[in-house]
Amino acid sequence: MTAIAAPTPVNPIALAAARRRRRVPYLLLLPGLLYLFVFYLIPLISLGRMALQSGNLQAGYELTWEWENFLQVFTTYRPQLLRSLGYSIGATLITLALGYPLAYAIAFRGGRWKNLLLVLLLMPFLVPFLLRTLAWRIILADQGLVVETLKTIGFLPDANGRLLATGWAVIAGLVYAFLPFMTLPIYVALEKIDRSLLEASGDLYATPATAFFKVTWPLSLTGVISGTLLTAIPAAGDYINSQLLGSPAQTMMGNVVESKFLSIIDYPSAASISLTLMLAIVVAVVLYVRSVGSEELIA
Amino acid sequence: MRPGPVTTNDGVPAVELDSITKRFVDFTAVEDLNLQIDDGHFFALLGPSGCGKTTTLRMIGGFEEPTSGVIRLHGEDVTGLKPYRRPVNTVFQSYALFPHLTIFENIAFGLRRQGVDDADVTKRVGDVLELVQLTGRDRQRPRQLSGGQQQRVAVARALVNHPRVLLLDEPLGALDLKLRKEMQIELKRIQQEVGVTFIHVTHDQEEAMTMADTIAVMHGGRIERMGRPTEIYEDPKTEFVAGFLGASNLMGGRLEGNRVGLVGGTVVHLTTAAAANQAGAVNIGVRPEKIRLHAPNDETAAPNRLAGKVTDASFIGVSTHYRIMNPDLGELAVVVQNLDDRRFALGEDVVAAWQPEHTFVVSQ
Repeated sequence: MTAIAAPTPVNPIALAAARRRRRVPYLLLLPGLLYLFVFYLIPLISLGRMALQSGNLQAGYELTWEWENFLQVFTTYRPQLLRSLGYSIGATLITLALGYPLAYAIAFRGGRWKNLLLVLLLMPFLVPFLLRTLAWRIILADQGLVVETLKTIGFLPDANGRLLATGWAVIAGLVYAFLPFMTLPIYVALEKIDRSLLEASGDLYATPATAFFKVTWPLSLTGVISGTLLTAIPAAGDYINSQLLGSPAQTMMGNVVESKFLSIIDYPSAASISLTLMLAIVVAVVLYVRSVGSEELIA
Repeated sequence: MRPGPVTTNDGVPAVELDSITKRFVDFTAVEDLNLQIDDGHFFALLGPSGCGKTTTLRMIGGFEEPTSGVIRLHGEDVTGLKPYRRPVNTVFQSYALFPHLTIFENIAFGLRRQGVDDADVTKRVGDVLELVQLTGRDRQRPRQLSGGQQQRVAVARALVNHPRVLLLDEPLGALDLKLRKEMQIELKRIQQEVGVTFIHVTHDQEEAMTMADTIAVMHGGRIERMGRPTEIYEDPKTEFVAGFLGASNLMGGRLEGNRVGLVGGTVVHLTTAAAANQAGAVNIGVRPEKIRLHAPNDETAAPNRLAGKVTDASFIGVSTHYRIMNPDLGELAVVVQNLDDRRFALGEDVVAAWQPEHTFVVSQ
């Protein structure tokens, strides 16, 4: 028998070596932790302080514990909050509806084209985000091909009907921007599924449709959860799409924060709105993951 | 408790393959295969990888379509039916247990698809868990079980549906040797208990001989030899089977009547049955354990005798493996039980002798 338990270091050199080995993981963590502390935790704390201040740029800001700052999200900016959540949920659902079949097709039917298809999926990332959104302005433009076609087939009944400056345009832009973020995690989850499981369910009297709902779908849930989170969270805070594809009637929370910070220079409001949005998203994510089943996320 | 189906022994074979051919794009996996498997048998398809045994099994299960030919299960033509429409179930090589379901739900999967009511599901799953000796594991997930236990779950998941034929695709391949031996005996017990026809694909000749009533040795998409394990071991008929199923000493010679003049002039005898209908150039074979070693000029030696020199002797406990060099026929493998026979040393002159009835003829 060989001893399985770690040998007790007897000489001081071995002891020092063992101590050094124990320190290694912490040393490896250190740069990341330091970075997070300086560029995440400190700004977050200062954001929290800022949110409770009052005053203006000329007179200066003072910490007066203005808790009311947090309430304005639910009063003054309630439409923007609801719009943010609505657009985000809508975009996430549409992205899921488009991304799941796409991921399924690549994973199960991609064959030797699999890698090429994945590269094509990632291609849009080679074009800057802003440019891509501006391109959508052209695609959805009033005299553009899409609008004219929709008018011809009667989807846009009104002769003055337009897509730009509507909620649909914003959602379309969000869907386009986040499709790869939805598709990739789902693809990874589907790719991992042992194909013999599908043969086994066929052998056990499941039709292809039943096999999908009883085996493929539950086993791809990890990907669906990651994908929807990667889409919904950034989409809720996005302001580029509503700014470039929408009108003032489509402003989202991101736009409010942006204008408070950069145009109106009302730092306390901007800070409190950001924090509230952040908290709302955290709560929503926790509820969502709980309801879908956190077990799948860990498995 | 008998979770098996009511087996009908009306003489109709459980599985019948009628001129089955399967061609893939660039090769033919199975060629003009005809096979009948009797109801209630433990049948093994044995062969090296690429011999077409798995393809044959997959065609019976419905996972592959034959290029031509007809498959019948209990007399009923099932060619072209989807797997979920066939009265067969499969134990997959990798077990293919559903990782997201409990052991109970894994086993209940097929029953639920067939709309069996809850009370019945609970009873049948309980019965089959008892059969495979996993009672009490029903709330666990597959990954919490050992390889051998997962294997039993896979068998239970298939058997719970009362299939008329159970297909096993190299089911013990992933287990270590000791567990494999245990599971061989276990599977045989289960088969005898439920009485379902088992079709077992394996490349392990010992596994096939341990479990099966009938073995079909496949080679190059065809069945080379089929029969009871003892039958095909004692008389393999072809050179491939003689080499694949155990070890053989093959020797070339000329057959006249029931006497064979071996290369080098030694004459050995065959039984009349083994020599029947053959003449001229043949290969004869004898199994290593059928040969006994004697000192030269030992009159008690069996009638078929070959002289040689010991070139290798390895003692392995239950037996001693010798290699005997004959100048005309090459090396012979000889396995001698460690009884009271004397041992022979390297370089010693010996006579290897065996009985005529242990001599078989293989086609060249």
